[in-house]
Amino acid sequence: MANVSGSVYGLTILSPIIDDPNADISHDGAIRQYLANLPNGHTSPFAKVSSTHICRLVVMDDVIYVGTPANEEHLNSKYLVFESNFDGELEPYLARMANEIPEVVESVWGHCVGYPGLRDVSAFVAYMKKCQITTTFYFADVNDHTVQSTLRALKVQASVADFIGKHQGESPAEIQAAFRAFYERVSNMSEQEPGHHDPQGHQSIKLNRSIAAQHG
Amino acid sequence: MKRIVSEEVALTNINGKTYAMTAITPMKPWKTPILKIFFFFLALIKPLQARLVGLSFIHFARWVVIKRHAFPRLADSQPEENLSYDYLLFFSNFNGTWNQYIDAFADVLADGLNLVWRWSEKFPMSRPVTAFKRYISLVQFDTDYYYTAYPRATTNDVKAAHRVCAAVEDLGRNCNGMSPAEFSAAYLHFLMKVQKDLGSTGVGPVGT
Repeated sequence: MANVSGSVYGLTILSPIIDDPNADISHDGAIRQYLANLPNGHTSPFAKVSSTHICRLVVMDDVIYVGTPANEEHLNSKYLVFESNFDGELEPYLARMANEIPEVVESVWGHCVGYPGLRDVSAFVAYMKKCQITTTFYFADVNDHTVQSTLRALKVQASVADFIGKHQGESPAEIQAAFRAFYERVSNMSEQEPGHHDPQGHQSIKLNRSIAAQHG
Repeated sequence: MKRIVSEEVALTNINGKTYAMTAITPMKPWKTPILKIFFFFLALIKPLQARLVGLSFIHFARWVVIKRHAFPRLADSQPEENLSYDYLLFFSNFNGTWNQYIDAFADVLADGLNLVWRWSEKFPMSRPVTAFKRYISLVQFDTDYYYTAYPRATTNDVKAAHRVCAAVEDLGRNCNGMSPAEFSAAYLHFLMKVQKDLGSTGVGPVGT
């Protein structure tokens, strides 16, 4: 299936935007305005749809003319492009969007042709599927780990770097005891918040030569 | 005056260490099936993807062909599209700067890129890279909102983190029954295994 790589789904949606010449603010302009003020990082609404690895929203005003001798042509509608890479199946994901971030869905897709609203989630799912374009070729570099397992792995990675630095030069028995406790902690470690910019960055450590001396 | 940008506010096309590229190119409809056949074999024969995988700075990428009559039409009030070309959409989520990406793409995957885009109008081929960059600049458009769950991690960081996790799991499960001497040897082996995967994560370099 072209939309899927491993356990990751590649969703491409093109929703035609309402063209109303009598509107005070054009619908594409209103979408852009809204998106420009939408928070990002761990406060992004898409962090609530926690199976989302990466997604983007783009207002496509027109196709692009590449110059002569190509024909110059134009779209009759503007389109909202939604590209998302997420874990699992399509329909539950779309239903999660409707349930977890209804304000975003209303504020964005409310400017699109045929949007049915969110009273009936299945109607919204059906609408989004009508706007879906099948991916022709999809590539996911890491396609066998969920968002949560990746966030947890990044947290563990930072902790391991800290652990090694902290216990350099200790005796094998001391390190073994510390590692047991560390493993216990790591086993119960929750993942970090999705979208977070700050807390899990870590510095690489310089290994002490005495490690090799002690253990070698 | 130096402009200070909050990291919680994503810049256009960039969030943390990840860059969103969106590009669209026109194709004569008779060429579309040829491209689809190429993608079919690319998906089917995994070794053909080896160089794409080897680049190791693309989280996710996709090519989407939209036939000229297949733009979604959701109501009779929406005017029908009247296009002479099919369109190839390209989405990439990569680490590094735009210039690094295009340079690396053109350097490592020149033949592959040519096979994908040679069916698009006026594609200049991927080498020399200057003409290729001009073409990509022309057909690219900006992202209005870009979210990533792990903005400070590159795809290499993600892969490294999973390797570290597996190594911790491995040593953690087995260390209880070991003598200190056995643990010492196992711990040294663990260090050697994970040391290349403990590089810094955090803020990405600034560039274009």
